[in-house]
Parts: sequence; structure tokens; C-alpha cells
Amino acid sequence: MERLLVLWIESLSIEAPDGSTLRVTQALLDALNLLCPFTEAVRLGLFALPMRAPSRFYGGDDVVLDAVRRCVRDVAQTSVKLGVGEGLFSAELAARHEFVLPTGASATFRRAQPLEVLARRDLTTTCQRLGLRTVGAFADLDAARVAERFDLDALTRQRVARGELGELEGQRDARLARRLAQLRGEDGEFDEQLGFFGQRGAGDLRADAAALRVRQRLGAEAVAVATLRGGRTPDERGALVPWGAPAPARLDAAPWPGQLGAPSPTTTFAHPVEVQLRDAQGAPIVLGVRGLLSGAPATLAFSNTLRREITWFAGPWPLVERWWALNRRRALVQLVLTSGEAFLLSCEERRWWLVGIYD
Amino acid sequence: MARVTRARYSYEHMFAFSDPRPALPKNLASALRPISMAKSRVLPLGEPWSNLVPGAALRRGSSVVVEAPPGLGGLSVALSLLSEASARGHWSAVVGVDDPGVVAMAELGVDLRRVLFVPRPHGAWAEATADLLDGVDLVLVRPPARAAAGIARRLSNRVRERGTVLIVLSEPRVPWPLAPDLSLRITQAEWSVSSRLDARYLTVHVSGRGEAVRSERHVVVVPGRRGRVEAR
Repeated sequence: MERLLVLWIESLSIEAPDGSTLRVTQALLDALNLLCPFTEAVRLGLFALPMRAPSRFYGGDDVVLDAVRRCVRDVAQTSVKLGVGEGLFSAELAARHEFVLPTGASATFRRAQPLEVLARRDLTTTCQRLGLRTVGAFADLDAARVAERFDLDALTRQRVARGELGELEGQRDARLARRLAQLRGEDGEFDEQLGFFGQRGAGDLRADAAALRVRQRLGAEAVAVATLRGGRTPDERGALVPWGAPAPARLDAAPWPGQLGAPSPTTTFAHPVEVQLRDAQGAPIVLGVRGLLSGAPATLAFSNTLRREITWFAGPWPLVERWWALNRRRALVQLVLTSGEAFLLSCEERRWWLVGIYD
Repeated sequence: MARVTRARYSYEHMFAFSDPRPALPKNLASALRPISMAKSRVLPLGEPWSNLVPGAALRRGSSVVVEAPPGLGGLSVALSLLSEASARGHWSAVVGVDDPGVVAMAELGVDLRRVLFVPRPHGAWAEATADLLDGVDLVLVRPPARAAAGIARRLSNRVRERGTVLIVLSEPRVPWPLAPDLSLRITQAEWSVSSRLDARYLTVHVSGRGEAVRSERHVVVVPGRRGRVEAR
């Protein structure tokens, strides 16, 4: 496996809302590319370059490490943790401990690491209960035994632990290279939102540029696009994801019995608002075990001072879901108030939540 | 004398065993047309707005104000103005609508692949709107507070300069400080119900500038039983 020099720069690992992180990353990448043309930004704060050729060219590992450290200090004015190891996984761990592992020592180093470095919590807990605490102990397990208990992802991680694969799946940020290309003004390719015959027209590019500008102004999560997926309630069926995030799986065409039909509320709260529903006598409305309401709703109270009269209601439509995990029971109710507003309410765990407004 | 009749062959006989050719889709011509003419001066409006609005379309460079008391269908109307243009390939953006009902937008006919959302622009709603006016064809904005006249004027200048359409969603309490090119004022909403909410009948006063100074009152169904906009 290829011997890699990894740079871990903590201050660049969290993106600043003003877009300075990407600019510094790009400047640093340009400077490091002068040292070694195969430098790449793995993800924010993490850079990697091959070690063998620069080490021969400059005359030893120490000279290269010095040059890189000086380069980071000049360009980014921050401290850097450097590490050398075989394969990206071992090299990143080495960088966090600031180890320069000689050729052939990476396996021993990797095997001595605690299991947490494989970044899967259920794997760690299960193995710890079995008395396996290090990556090496997990690597020695029979792959068939691992496959019996875990999924394909765990098998891949075991291959990383054994040294058969160089890097974990989530270690690399696939979007970073593209975002840096956008920053340089070279239009990267986009995998979302394909236009006519899969091409992107001028309008699409203009929209991307505008979205990028808003994101630089307001922060990474400011611009969003909508996705649709399966579900029963409107808040499950649609969601906003940050613009530029990898496109999620497309809408499944599966039938969802009990799905709330059209029209859907035009406001769907990401965080539902708790409300109180009372009947004409002022007693709280309770959803019974058979899915019936204890009375006809007459007032809707947002707080002690703000209460509204209800003229009409429909429902409850009970939803009993996820019996295999947590047995979730919900019911939906539609209300019309005297002012003409229409609301969608959901009852969960004996409490009422405002989930949508038909604005 | 026997009359010789020549057998009439047509080329179909040669392909007697091949499957019949599928009929061409009816809307092929419209599908093969360029998605949007860069120079076209208007953005399309769907039914029934095209019958109610002067010019039957949204003129580029104009600003539209949708005014409704909170909760009485202003957002539905504003989103329905986006739907036809978005379905024809124009990009749009929605600024300042905190929790947009994505499913309702899909039901209204908005193509969600070409909509950008800026849900919580906080203090920078005008800047975000101005940025988006450069890049998309329609911007729907709900100002979080009363818009200053200077900001409104600057935005409408930008709209005119860029040839986009700005749709402002406002309330009677906090009106948009400028006179818009087209104004849709909702005064009354009435739900038609069965065992569930079926349809909402909105009374909309449509008025504008130029040829449409006088205000006309219409009743529009937003949303209808399938979530779309219908004429009454």
C-alpha cells in the first residue's frame, strides 16, 4: 500500500460561514502542489500526498516534513499535525498522533488502535462485550462470523482493519474537489438536477452561481432544495436538503396506505409546535386507545393567552407504524378556525402538535 | 377478357409481423421546443391565472404583490404563480418561507428540481433576494418584517434590470411600500369540506397598472381536491 503523508489542520476542518475556509484550502492546495503535484484535499482540514517520490527527491522524510510544515505556516498561518502511514486510514491516525511510521510499521500501529477509530458504534459496543478492544482483535475475527452478525458495511470495515483496503468509506469528501473547482471558476460537474437530455443549460448554471453566492453570504446550510420521498404525513413525504448535498434516492412508487391525500398543507413545520386542544367544556381532548377522540374539539390554545375557536374538524385518522421498533401511534386531525384558517394537527404520546398550515 | 387487377402492395405488408409502431406522443412538439426562449418577454402562467391576469402571463421585469391575511391562502396563491413557469423549465427561488410545504408545491405543479429555497435568511433577506434575482427567473419572497421603501425600490430596480419577476407575499398589516405592476389581494377564504378538507374558494381582487388599473374580483379554487389551482 502506498505510503502517504497526511496533514491534519484542525482550524480548517470546520467550515466558516464567510467562505474563508474554502479559500484557504484552495491556497494551501496550490502551495502544496508546488512541492508535490499529487497533493489532494481529502476533506476539509485533511490533505494527503504520496511520500515515496518526494522523500527521494528532497532527500529524506524529515526534509519533506519540514518543507510541508513551513508551507502551511506561510500560507495558512496555523499549526498542522503531520503523520506518515501506509494507506489513508493508517496515515490519518498517524497524523492525529503525529507519528511518522517507517515502511512496514503501519500494520502494527493500526492493529493497536482502539476499535472506536472504525467509527461504528454498534460494532464497538458488541465487540467490547466480546472482549475485543483493538482493531487488530477485530481484524482477526473470521469474516464469515462478522457477516453473520453485521452488514456489508462492517465487512468492509474489517477489510480496512486487516489492511486489505486503504481507507474507510466516509473518509473522503467527494464534494470537496467539485466545490474547489467551482471556487476556481472552473465549472464542476453536477450530479443533481439534470436538464434536457441530461445537459445543463445556461439557466441552470446561472442558478447555481446565484445559489453559491447566497451560500457564501449566509452560510453553508442557507440554500436548500426540496426532495420528495415515501411516507404518510406531509412532513415525512417532503424535506429540504442543503443545496449541493448528494442527491438522495428518488421517490419510491410504493403505496402508502393511510397516506393523507391532497390538498397538503403549504406550511409544514420541521419542528412541530405544541398546542392544546379542548372541548366546549374546556376539558383537554384525549385520543382513546380505539382511535376515537374524547369529545368534539372546540378551542385550540397555543398558550394561556392565545386561543382560537374551532368551527369544523375532521378525523382522527389513526396511524400505527413501526411496530417492530417503537410502536408509534399517531393520529391526524384537520381543523378550520372561525377566522378561516385551516390547520393540520397530529396527536402523539397524548400531546397535540401543529404540523401544518393550509396557508 | 379478364381484367387484371394489380395487387396493391404497400410497404406495411413487409412488416406484417413486426409490432405496430407506437403513436407519437401528442405533446412531442412542445417537448422538443427549446425549454425557454432567452429573449421571451413573458413568463407563462397556468390556468386559471392566465384568464384572470392582464396579458395572460407574467411580464419580465415586473413585480407582483400577493396580499392576504395570515393563513388565508396567500402562500398557496403565490406558489401557484410559480408552477407553470417552473414546469416549463424556468428556475425559481423561495426566500423567507420558513417551512415550505414541499408536497403541496408538488401538488400545485411546481417542478421541485428547479426551485431554490432560502428558508431562514434572518436579517439578510433583501441581500439574498438580490443575489437570487441575478440567477433565477422568478423569486418569491416573504419579507420577515416591514420592508423599507429604499430596499423595495432597489429590489424592483434590480428586477427591471435583470428581466426577472419578483413575487412578494405580504399581509394587509405590513403592505409592500411600492405600487406593484400586478396585485392579487385575497379578502375572503371559504373551505368546502366533506369528511376532510376538500377545496378552498378564495376571493381574489386582481388589479394592475396600465391596461388593468381597475380591480376585478374573482373566485379561484386554491387548492382544489387534487391540490391544484382550478377555476370555479
